[in-house]
Amino acid sequence: MITTGKKVAGTAMAGFLAVSLAACGSSKDNNNGSDAAASPSASASTSASASASASAPASSDSGSKEKVTITFQNIYPDPTDPKYNMLRKIVKQYETDHPNVHIELDSLNTDQQKQKLKTQAASNEVPDITIVNPSAQMKPYVDAGLFAPLNEMVEQNGLKDTFQSGILDYYTFDGNLYALPDGNNIALMYYNKALFKQAGIDAPPTTFEDLVADVKKLKDKGIQPMTIGEKDTWTGSFLFMNMLLRTNGGPGFLQDIVDGKKTFEDPAFKGAVDSFETLVQAGAFQEGATSFDYNAGENLFKTGKAAMYFMGSWATGGIEVSDANKDGNVGVFKFPTIGGKGDPNEFMLAPGSAFAVSKNSKHLPETLDFLNYFMLNYPKEAFAAKGAVGVAQKVDGDFKAAGYSDMAMEVLAMFKDVKGGDISFDNTMNPATSQAHLSSIQNLFVAKKDAAAVAKEHQQAYEDNKE
Amino acid sequence: MNVLKVSRWTIAAFVLPCLLLYVGLVFAPILVSFYNATLNWNGIGVAKHVGLDNFQRMFTHDSVFWPSVRRTFMLAGFSMLVQLPIALFVAILISRYVRKPNFLVSSYFMPVILSVAVIGQLWKTIYNPASQGGMINQILIKLGLGDWTHAWLSEPKVAIYAIIVIGLWQYLGYHILIQFTGIQNIPADIYEAAKIDGAEGLTADRYITLPMIVPIFKISVVLSFIGSLQSFDLIMVTTAGGPAHATDVLASHMYNISILSQKYGYGSAIACFLVVVCLVATVIINFLFNRLDRRYN
Repeated sequence: MITTGKKVAGTAMAGFLAVSLAACGSSKDNNNGSDAAASPSASASTSASASASASAPASSDSGSKEKVTITFQNIYPDPTDPKYNMLRKIVKQYETDHPNVHIELDSLNTDQQKQKLKTQAASNEVPDITIVNPSAQMKPYVDAGLFAPLNEMVEQNGLKDTFQSGILDYYTFDGNLYALPDGNNIALMYYNKALFKQAGIDAPPTTFEDLVADVKKLKDKGIQPMTIGEKDTWTGSFLFMNMLLRTNGGPGFLQDIVDGKKTFEDPAFKGAVDSFETLVQAGAFQEGATSFDYNAGENLFKTGKAAMYFMGSWATGGIEVSDANKDGNVGVFKFPTIGGKGDPNEFMLAPGSAFAVSKNSKHLPETLDFLNYFMLNYPKEAFAAKGAVGVAQKVDGDFKAAGYSDMAMEVLAMFKDVKGGDISFDNTMNPATSQAHLSSIQNLFVAKKDAAAVAKEHQQAYEDNKE
Repeated sequence: MNVLKVSRWTIAAFVLPCLLLYVGLVFAPILVSFYNATLNWNGIGVAKHVGLDNFQRMFTHDSVFWPSVRRTFMLAGFSMLVQLPIALFVAILISRYVRKPNFLVSSYFMPVILSVAVIGQLWKTIYNPASQGGMINQILIKLGLGDWTHAWLSEPKVAIYAIIVIGLWQYLGYHILIQFTGIQNIPADIYEAAKIDGAEGLTADRYITLPMIVPIFKISVVLSFIGSLQSFDLIMVTTAGGPAHATDVLASHMYNISILSQKYGYGSAIACFLVVVCLVATVIINFLFNRLDRRYN
């Protein structure tokens, strides 16, 4: 039998539960820009501003505007990356200026975001703003009509002119612009000067043969020569394509394949495979490289555990502020020639990942307005946050005076030397062919394979998947 | 037998919503998948009808397919032939010799409730190479067995076995719990009667426990076999099917094809194969166990 005391206690508990659920509900509304890593003070200030603006509807007509939530999918999950803070700063500023707009951030790492977007696209639930990679990687989405053209939006506030000339071509299809890039990067070799000195290497290698010799010297001293995040298969592919850029004596190999002038069984391709395998067999990469994702691989370099790191210049911001770069310890050098072939001033070009807007966005005008604001402020904030190396827009300002490190200045100098280059495999070929290539390269990390067999594999995949 | 004494129509009306949900969420998508398998489609664009082309390609032209089938069956086989006997043995021991079994059974059950992402990270720190702090390799080196170290998750030959071990560890407690409950339900007087006849301990088990636990054991067999045929999350978290497809199973191969290579139609063909395999396996298991049941009851 239930006593009166138990009944009272039961009712009190139920009431308590109901009240706590209600409290949860209301606090969620006030918590603008809630990100797991956002500091408590940030959320307190935004909730204060939200309630302040909510209590002052008479002063502006924003009180009658409907509440708009924009989902912003991005690839800056790492709080040590300057772009992380920069993005959140611009978002917060916009939310303060437009109190009826709430921007929900979905931060993922690169490969995860690619996969998530593919799943979302299949069910037609593309976020309002998402990230796509240039040319071939964004073509399927454009062909499916998932993105809104940005031709008009980019004319507003002179946004179009802020971009470097020619960069927007990588994101234009049939005369329509579909995405705005966050960067224009080149691939470099970052190196740890102290570790080089420890192994008795005086200067960075200028030929591939010197590079392999340096790898051996580092290994003899028990230093990890290079690091790579090969669980994210594009990293190995990026390095491989740079070797192909050299053995081919210049850019355009994949274009020749597409035009039917060459096949993958060309000696230049086989030479690149041989060089790649030489590097792997020399023990350049860390044990279990295929289970290190991009961030884990980069961290190995940033914590000073590896001597060299091949990556695009977007990594400059993160490496600059890392332990490895204390006292300007990190330098950069151009990828060496292979067998005397190739021009060191030809780089792997990486027009950056770009922001695209979903065509079926519920709040298309607001999203376009926000993206316009975001891209206008992007170069300024990037410059201030020391992340402006490799931005796709023209950046005004004295980098040296702003306190950019010597390494950043070196990287900027490299940009001036660029005479041309190639873009990555998966930005040129369709997804199915690219997947076959990515797996094939990943395979080279665990097993030695005959270059002719690898070439045949590629050619077979290309022919099977030709559209 | 109508225990509730209500009309058949009332029963049907109450069952209908659940049935509709089940058909809508399970059968309809499977049928749509069968249809999708006849298309050449990248998931977001226009589809092209190609009939049985995908199936033909899958069976003859795909170098990843048959190894992944082999690995899937290996996973299922190990979980059935290694995990279940151990689970049954442990359950028997617990029910016989442990005074307060609940604590022990709960602790064995813990890995089942851990999320796969946590398990993946946990086992990666165990399997990592010694230079990255991997536990197994460090122990082997300290014991002087340095030759036995491997890059457990990166070496193609070893990786799938490493993952099988994780799978066995994860669900052992689940099956222990099921078998344990089954054993508890066997009436104690049968054992006492057997004791009088002189059959104790493991002999009693052979003639009493095993036959009586057949229906419960069947549940475990079906769950573990079908469950491991579909295993996907563990593979993705630890190796993503790599390196170079060395740990790809049917489900992860299907995912890679559908999402990464954007060949949704072809991926659906693989999914169809998986569905058919699971159905056939269920039928076979049911058949075998019905035979066993009839023999012992």
